[in-house]
Amino acid sequence: MSDGKMKLLKKIQAESFAVVEANLYLDTHPTCKDGLEYFRRHKELCEKLKKEYEEKYGPLTAAASESTKKWEWVTEPFPWELDANKGGNN
Amino acid sequence: MWQYEKKLQYPVKIANPNPTLAKVIISQLGGPDGELGASMRYLNQRYSAPCREVQAILSDIGTEELAHMEMISAILYQLTRDLSVKEIKEAGFDAYFVDHTTGIYPQAASGVPFTAAYFQSKGDPITDLHEDLAAEQKARTTYDNLLRLIDDPDVRDPIKFLREREIVHYQRFGEGLAMVQEMLDSKNFYAFNPSFDK
Repeated sequence: MSDGKMKLLKKIQAESFAVVEANLYLDTHPTCKDGLEYFRRHKELCEKLKKEYEEKYGPLTAAASESTKKWEWVTEPFPWELDANKGGNN
Repeated sequence: MWQYEKKLQYPVKIANPNPTLAKVIISQLGGPDGELGASMRYLNQRYSAPCREVQAILSDIGTEELAHMEMISAILYQLTRDLSVKEIKEAGFDAYFVDHTTGIYPQAASGVPFTAAYFQSKGDPITDLHEDLAAEQKARTTYDNLLRLIDDPDVRDPIKFLREREIVHYQRFGEGLAMVQEMLDSKNFYAFNPSFDK
């Protein structure tokens, strides 16, 4: 996996983790203004990064396979492959 | 990773509770050919699938089976709502009730709890895909048997949908098996295991 791709993927992993954490917190604090703002900020950033990743490197979900020539879901490695986790200088 | 969508794959809307039906339908949650076993079978097998197409079909069907677990659970939930103790006793639902009240617990119709012994992950794609084909047919037979036992159209409708999905999955696994055989020695499919003998 290229360094650029891995770097972007790591940013997505960090941002989507922030979204998951805020999600759990908000499940038990559904009216917390700070929590809602934190969730919105990270969700927006996460979506922007995912869009950039999918345009450059291919779909993160099957439904995001947009090519009319090939089902892109089967062109990139699945995430348990070592190759899907290498690069980007950690 | 996974993301949950707050919707059923196909609607479940049962007007009349009926614990007698819940007692047999529960086998498709936690029984030998149920949806939990199906999902765990495919999601565990996918790591040793030898090509992206088979990795994809196991990931995607394994994920759909989780949605089927949810549909079966929704059917069980609606069939066991608002029950009186009298109704529980008359339906013979008391044996389940004493251990689980009306909570959803994965077990077979016989009462045997779910076990991972219901499925295999053999690390050989020819073997695993044959198990998957058999599993889809076993689940289809179970749905056929359930349809013989159920008259309520509200319950039959989602069960018929689930039965049809078994047939589609069987078709896709058959194509996956053909794809794997294509990668192998046509004179002897068993000459080597493409997931181990690289």
